[in-house]
Amino acid sequence: MNSLRTRLLLATSLTLAFFLILGGLSLDRAFEASAEQSQQERMQALIYALLGSAEPTPYGALVFANDKLPDDRLAHPQSGLEAALFGDSAGLLWGSPSLSDNIPTPATQEVGQWRFEQLANRFVLLFGVSYTGDDHTPRHYTLMLTEESAQYESQLRAYRRTLLLWLGGAAAALLLLQGTVMRWSLRPLRRLVRELGDVESGARARIEGDYPAELKPLTEGLNAMIINERNQQSRYRNALGDLAHTLKTPLAVLHGIAERPQGMAQQQLLTEQVLRMRHIVDHQLQRAATAGSRTLAEPVTLRPLVEKITAALAKVYHQRRVQFTLDIPATLRLRADAGDLYELLGNLLDNACKYGGGRVRLSARREQKQVLLMVEDDGAGFPNDTAPLLERGTRADTLQEGQGLGLGAVKDIVEAYGGALRLERSTLGGGCVRVTLPG
Amino acid sequence: MRVLVVEDDAALRAQICESLRAEGYVAESAADGEEGLYRAQEYPIDIAVVDLGLPKLTGIELIKKLRKGAGSSTGPSKVPVLILTARDGWQSKVEGLEAGADDYLVKPFQTPELLARLRALLRRAGGWASATLVSGPIELDTTAKSLKVGERAVEITSYEYRVLEYLLTNAGKVISKSELSEHLYAEDHERDSNVIEVFIRRLRAKIDPENTLNPIATLRGAGYRWDLPRA
Repeated sequence: MNSLRTRLLLATSLTLAFFLILGGLSLDRAFEASAEQSQQERMQALIYALLGSAEPTPYGALVFANDKLPDDRLAHPQSGLEAALFGDSAGLLWGSPSLSDNIPTPATQEVGQWRFEQLANRFVLLFGVSYTGDDHTPRHYTLMLTEESAQYESQLRAYRRTLLLWLGGAAAALLLLQGTVMRWSLRPLRRLVRELGDVESGARARIEGDYPAELKPLTEGLNAMIINERNQQSRYRNALGDLAHTLKTPLAVLHGIAERPQGMAQQQLLTEQVLRMRHIVDHQLQRAATAGSRTLAEPVTLRPLVEKITAALAKVYHQRRVQFTLDIPATLRLRADAGDLYELLGNLLDNACKYGGGRVRLSARREQKQVLLMVEDDGAGFPNDTAPLLERGTRADTLQEGQGLGLGAVKDIVEAYGGALRLERSTLGGGCVRVTLPG
Repeated sequence: MRVLVVEDDAALRAQICESLRAEGYVAESAADGEEGLYRAQEYPIDIAVVDLGLPKLTGIELIKKLRKGAGSSTGPSKVPVLILTARDGWQSKVEGLEAGADDYLVKPFQTPELLARLRALLRRAGGWASATLVSGPIELDTTAKSLKVGERAVEITSYEYRVLEYLLTNAGKVISKSELSEHLYAEDHERDSNVIEVFIRRLRAKIDPENTLNPIATLRGAGYRWDLPRA
């Protein structure tokens, strides 16, 4: 019952059945009534004709001549059409040659009164007649006409068969039409569901199809929601970026002041505090700016993004002549924020360039519902105890200037997406950072 | 060496310039993107330090225009550019490098780090791979600013060092006297070609007292050229 389709189909089918049955019944009743009516009228006409053929007798009674009967069937026994004349008190006065035996005497009819009846297998029509012969004495008779109803019944059966056939045909045609109309009417809804699925899976940025007027407000609302969600996220991150900018320039100045010659203890204290502030700012900004997994995020094609980063790093590590090997399918798309991916891969690749021996390999592939990223280098690799590396402010060595934020920031991003990070040994000889991200 | 610093924060700009001058650079500065672009295009600078968040013209736009040579009489410029960015996101670093910058430094930074990056970029622009410029028996350590000829350490003054560093960095290229003075002195009134001649003479005497190496050739009417092969 939770499907619109089932609801509509059930409701329309029930309505259809109800009206078809009602229509069929009323058509049947109407036909039966009109058939009965015409039967009665035919029999009445026959009675009039019979009366017209009556001949007076010298003693004033009503008599029918058997050779002048208006319907041939009356003259033949077993024809199914019978006529009889009953006197007021004398019982049967005359019977047509077709009349069978043991006809019960009917009730006397008032003069001019008709009485039509349908018995088990025959119709009976009675008519009260007053006849005044030559002796001027009015006599009261009841004329009876009976006809077998077999023909009438078979006519009715034939009609019912035809009716059933036509109504059944109409019902089938209507059901078919209704099904088609429903499929057609519900098609935009099915398409909407599909497009929404695409937006969610990242194959599509927004709902684009042309929808009927009733659905327009819904699709527009959904699109507005998607865009708003994205905008809000970028506004939020821009605000944080601005915060970083405004905080860091004065921090740079303080840093410069701290480097100037003055009292050693004083200088050290200032430097320490400034460094601490810097780490706090970096750490909090990084955490806050990480977008994390969002269902409405636009998917990012990984390869061009990685190519940009490696081109930039090739410039920075110009002297090391770092060789990048990329093993990334051109079609691999990842539902993640581009800024987060830049951060994640930028840090990992930067580390690989910095601590590696000049060969860096990045491989990415989809594994079921996850994306696996591996950044490998041919450097010294990670120490046995990798736990401290993943804390902020720690570096694998102190050979190069750095902020020590790389792996810690990467870990934060991976966690924000509900992914996993492992430090392993690469077949290239150095470290291998293995990141799995959902989606 | 002449450095252009484009930074909108006055305090930081002054601080960077001061550190650069203390290191023997000639520091030139601009407070916004437009002025920065103008100076980068019209002045004989050796390297530029550009903040990304600049008024009027962003750092990225500045670098793009500089590389394209838009509106300049000198055409596209290949001068090395170090970007300073407060947004330490990789996206902005990559954008900056993509636009044509050569390296980046995230604010807040330590001054020695900035100086080391500048030295590396200048070396790279001159085609040198290591921090010590080696040519024949001559070894100029650009980090320690010390000179060795063979096994012998040679004492040189700060101005002599600057002249030598410039000639050696651009080894094989003809450097005119005016170019030398432009890259070594901040102000026009300081520029006196006689002083350059004096420095060259002194350098020759210190490096090559026996006149056997002849590292610096004088090309009459054109200038000087470092003539020893790079190691």
